[in-house]
Amino acid sequence: MSKLRSIGARLRTNWKDPLIRRHVGLLFLGKAIGLGIVLTLITRWFLPAMLGAQAATPAPALDPMATVNAINTVWTLVAAFLVFGMQVGFVLLEAGFARSRESVNILVEGIADTCICGVTFWLWGFAFMFEPGNGFIGLHGFALQGLAATYGTTGVALLAFWVFQFAFADTCSTITSGAMIGRCGFIGDLLYSVGVTGFIYPIIGHWAWGPDGWLATMGPIAFHDFAGSTVVHTIGGAISLAGAIALGPRLGRVFKRDGGGPMPAHDLIIGAAGGLILWFGWYGFNPGSTLSALDTAGIGRVSFNTTLAACSAGLTSLIYSYVRTKKWDLALTTNGFLAGLVAITCPCYWVDPVGAFFIGIGGGLVVVWGIDALEYLRIDDPIGAVPVHMVGGIWGTLSLGLFAAGKYGAPTPTGADVSTVVSGLFYGGGLGVLKAQLIGSVAVTAATFVAAMGLMYAVKATGTLRVSPEGELEGLDLAEHGSSAYPEYMISGSESVILSVSAKDEAA
Amino acid sequence: MKLISCVIRPDRLPAVKEALFRAGVTGITITRASGHGGERDTVTVRRGTKLLLQFHEKVKIEMACSEPFVEATINAIVDSARTGMVGDGKIFVQQLDRVVRIRTGERDNAALTPVTVDAVQKHSLQLAEKN
Repeated sequence: MSKLRSIGARLRTNWKDPLIRRHVGLLFLGKAIGLGIVLTLITRWFLPAMLGAQAATPAPALDPMATVNAINTVWTLVAAFLVFGMQVGFVLLEAGFARSRESVNILVEGIADTCICGVTFWLWGFAFMFEPGNGFIGLHGFALQGLAATYGTTGVALLAFWVFQFAFADTCSTITSGAMIGRCGFIGDLLYSVGVTGFIYPIIGHWAWGPDGWLATMGPIAFHDFAGSTVVHTIGGAISLAGAIALGPRLGRVFKRDGGGPMPAHDLIIGAAGGLILWFGWYGFNPGSTLSALDTAGIGRVSFNTTLAACSAGLTSLIYSYVRTKKWDLALTTNGFLAGLVAITCPCYWVDPVGAFFIGIGGGLVVVWGIDALEYLRIDDPIGAVPVHMVGGIWGTLSLGLFAAGKYGAPTPTGADVSTVVSGLFYGGGLGVLKAQLIGSVAVTAATFVAAMGLMYAVKATGTLRVSPEGELEGLDLAEHGSSAYPEYMISGSESVILSVSAKDEAA
Repeated sequence: MKLISCVIRPDRLPAVKEALFRAGVTGITITRASGHGGERDTVTVRRGTKLLLQFHEKVKIEMACSEPFVEATINAIVDSARTGMVGDGKIFVQQLDRVVRIRTGERDNAALTPVTVDAVQKHSLQLAEKN
């Protein structure tokens, strides 16, 4: 009470001060004006707007197919971004397993191949591969002109589908450069890269993935390649085999039967990290190939099979390396789990866990045999692109004919279609699927290899495929790009140009 | 006794090593080195700017030899390291005052005679059997 009384006394005293009276007056005047504005706005504007909205017809119900297509498009794009991330894995893996003097070359090639692939795939690659034409090549939609807003029956926005398929094509072209590291000239790389991403990959890929490709429509049982063991990896691996043969081994490379062995990897940390980033990117590569997030069981199964096959393949080659050398080999294990991933890429949708496990074991074994075979044939493949991608891809494609579980059909935009299932030999499906897989694998491998040999020898005829011996010994980084990835490892003295005679010549 | 050191091209190292081993010289020390000689400077590019690398990467090998091995060693290096282009490197031969093998304390020529782990192990096993 006394507190209130003291406040009242203070107000009475202050009210006598004219200055305070004016302050309080102004304060209340301001508040009254503000209140007036707010009330006017509410009565004149908000209320009619709200009443009008209530009076209008209720919002139309969302088309369920629009929602389905939105979800599937987002899913495809997320997968596309993951697959693009595999480029990081590839350049790290290749740079790590090569010598330090060619690291810059590998990085520039990875970036340049990506850029070339984007432009060619926009102008004609997509039209060759995914648009109707005949059984061997698509002939519609050059520069993406005159195409529908969504691709085929998938409901995925066309350009989102393009980005996803661009990332795949880019993967194929980067695989190729892996076997040609250390001696391939940069102009030669640009030339064959146009040939690979512009012609070989889209045209041969059309056979299996085009709407009217002859392998995709083959009877009685069509060729199946879910995410590209054949289309991406075998094509990339077969081109890299042709490239390695056309180039010949690096100077100073001594093969096992001549008392030597592979050249040292310059940074296994980078190499192994690159391999694991590739594994991560594969979670976009395989599950994303459903193009449908609503086939929830499908994307879960594909992710699971991808994981299990990589694990069993990595373990297989790890143990294989120990049995053979009494050492736990990192490089062989990395190549092993990559081969398992390549192998499961084709059958990942149609096999069950047991099948995925054995497909992985097969991948871990064939990659070691592939490495041995190349070493015996005196073919120099610095990072093992051929054993991992070509041999692993062929095994994976054929394995579908053995392990397809006979329970799964095809993904659709709204779920799974099990009206026609794929059954392999071990699941009571007979030899039909295996035969189709064999035809597809042999046709694609042979056609790619022949076309790639032609391409590589054509580039070789221009004299740009291989660098000069001096440039190769100095290292491609300095000879082709004028920069070293690790300039501080060597005392180079490049800061001062005064002492140098040739510097004066250049200045003059 | 002579100390022979040579500067060679890095890519000739495997050939030089093989030639030295054939000549009976197995005790060698190898260093990565940079240096300047008669070669043309390498042009490098840094974000579009041209710069010259004045020093070239080389490998330096050092070995101590007793007198009978000196000529053979020099010949082995010259034959294996030569490419005929400027920048093949040089061999320097210096008088050596003393050599001591740390493990045994052996001096001079006795310290220069090459031994291997296997031979030493065999020898010590024989000693152990005798005792």
